[in-house]
Amino acid sequence: MKRLSLRKVTTEAKLLLIGIPVFIWTMLPIYHLFLFSISPKEAAFAGHLWPDHPTLRNFVIVFGEKHYYLSHFWLQMWNSFIIAVTVGILTLFVATSAAFAISRLKVKGGRAVMNMALFTYFIPAAFLAVPMYKTMGVYGLLNSQWALILAMLTIAAPYSIWVLKQASDKLPYELDEAARMDGASPLQLFRLVYLPLMMPSLVAIGTYALLLAWNEYLYAFLLLSKETQITLGVALGNFLAADDSPWELLMTTGLLYALPPAAIYYAFKRYMVGGLTAGAVKS
Amino acid sequence: MASVSFQNIEKTFGSTKVIHGIGFDIHDGEFMVLVGPSGCGKSTLLRMLAGLEEISGGTIAIDGKVVNEMESKDRDIAMVFQSYALYPHMTVAENMAFSLKLRKANPKTIEERVAKAAKILNLDPYLKRYPRELSGGQRQRVAMGRAIVRDPKVFLFDEPLSNLDAKLRVAMRGEIKALHQRLKTTTVYVTHDQVEAMTMADRIVVMHDGRVEQIGTPLELYDRPGNLFVAQFIGSPAMNVIEGTVRRANGAAHVDAAKGVKWPLPGAAGADGQQVAYGIRPEHLSLAAAGASGSVPGEVVVVEPTGAETELVVQVGDEQIVLVTHGRPVVNPGDRIGLTVEPAMVHVFDRSTGQRIGG
Repeated sequence: MKRLSLRKVTTEAKLLLIGIPVFIWTMLPIYHLFLFSISPKEAAFAGHLWPDHPTLRNFVIVFGEKHYYLSHFWLQMWNSFIIAVTVGILTLFVATSAAFAISRLKVKGGRAVMNMALFTYFIPAAFLAVPMYKTMGVYGLLNSQWALILAMLTIAAPYSIWVLKQASDKLPYELDEAARMDGASPLQLFRLVYLPLMMPSLVAIGTYALLLAWNEYLYAFLLLSKETQITLGVALGNFLAADDSPWELLMTTGLLYALPPAAIYYAFKRYMVGGLTAGAVKS
Repeated sequence: MASVSFQNIEKTFGSTKVIHGIGFDIHDGEFMVLVGPSGCGKSTLLRMLAGLEEISGGTIAIDGKVVNEMESKDRDIAMVFQSYALYPHMTVAENMAFSLKLRKANPKTIEERVAKAAKILNLDPYLKRYPRELSGGQRQRVAMGRAIVRDPKVFLFDEPLSNLDAKLRVAMRGEIKALHQRLKTTTVYVTHDQVEAMTMADRIVVMHDGRVEQIGTPLELYDRPGNLFVAQFIGSPAMNVIEGTVRRANGAAHVDAAKGVKWPLPGAAGADGQQVAYGIRPEHLSLAAAGASGSVPGEVVVVEPTGAETELVVQVGDEQIVLVTHGRPVVNPGDRIGLTVEPAMVHVFDRSTGQRIGG
């Protein structure tokens, strides 16, 4: 029989004492979101813990685009998706190349780039929204989704470079030397040795950039204006423009909007494992 | 197979000069060991040969061809790193095949060469495993396998055994030696361990502070160390060195050390009155009865039996002299004894220059 020591029990109890309130605190809004989405319009504000007549009608309306605010639901969901994925991929490309060049190839000026990367975060992104709007106008990119993609890339890249540089510094340098002696060019080193070993960090940074773009409201709202181009996040904001907002539909759409990031997170979580470099060098 | 030639090699890091004009040749098929204490520049020299470190001055040639400006990959050399540096995301077979794949060798050749190397190194059962699933010794063998499959002109080893435990180190020492005898590839091996150097090398380069102290076969270095540094670095336990003055009278000679201790000095080394360092290895001293004629009197301080041999520390004048004997002498700390010197095995060095005097 397994006996728990008193110390173990108290530790467990302390953890539960903190864990349970945190769990409730986090889940309550999400539960409300869910409650709204299965309530009929007239019962939405009833305040019950469970609706008297739960219904999936809201989902039917959203999926069928059967409401004025939802006339481009699928297109806007797709916009959000394609923009987020593009931002994720471009950020990864820029940040990985930069981190590899600075950390592994030790190019001159690497330190300056790193310092500048950190410096960009001294100014809140919101302050840069108007200059960014103007810049995109100069390049003639307003009303193009590229405007939002490039803006998000600008915001996500410095942090990503910083994180990936730190992560690459932890890879043993002997691996590069071994690969060089084995005849690898810098590009082969990058592709065949560096990228596979950086996978956990790449997944983390890719997910970060993707979610940043997916959840972005301010820049998306400023830089995109056509109904057919905006992201779902901006479209959700438009719900509030009406005097009589259809809350149950807003919440239903919100719930659906939250699902893809969750799916992406769980799909890639298994790649975010440590210990990939185990066995490379004697530590 | 190839020869390697270093000519007047220099290396500076910033304003610090770490290698001061080194030159020597390594013959085709030779097992050359670079040995010296930490920071003597031996690894830097090896890395310059590997192409991982720029050459600040002088030339390095492989097979008569200067490689100073040549990329590592074009020098046709393979290196085994101290830390193994295996690719952790590749299996043992993939690790060994990596260089051939980069060279776009045909898959059949790759498979054959990997299989052959695996057989030589007894790695057959592990080909599908990842480095993290191997023991230290096995990883070390994979690192060697990675070098072997390339069939390079020169093998470089950078302290390959220093991460292994003592027992495994002795075993791997034998394996590397056997491998060299089998493949006959020119090998440059860096170590700080003089025992490794003595047991494995065809010839040894002893380095100190960025300079070559002496080059020679292990026994040459042991029998005729060119200077005090080599004398004390090669051999274990280290050579006893006693400072004194040569006294010659009536055809006999001795070295006068502190407290009136007289060390017998056979042969013609050293002029009367010369300040010298008198060297005698622990294994060339033997025990005699206290006061025996021709012996140096001393008092036993420590007795360390190891089974096969016994190590004694003896206080002679101001010096603590180490003696190693194969017997099991019945002595205890505090005993008065005599030490006799094997005359042919005395080394004499000039005290100011440290250079060997005489034959």
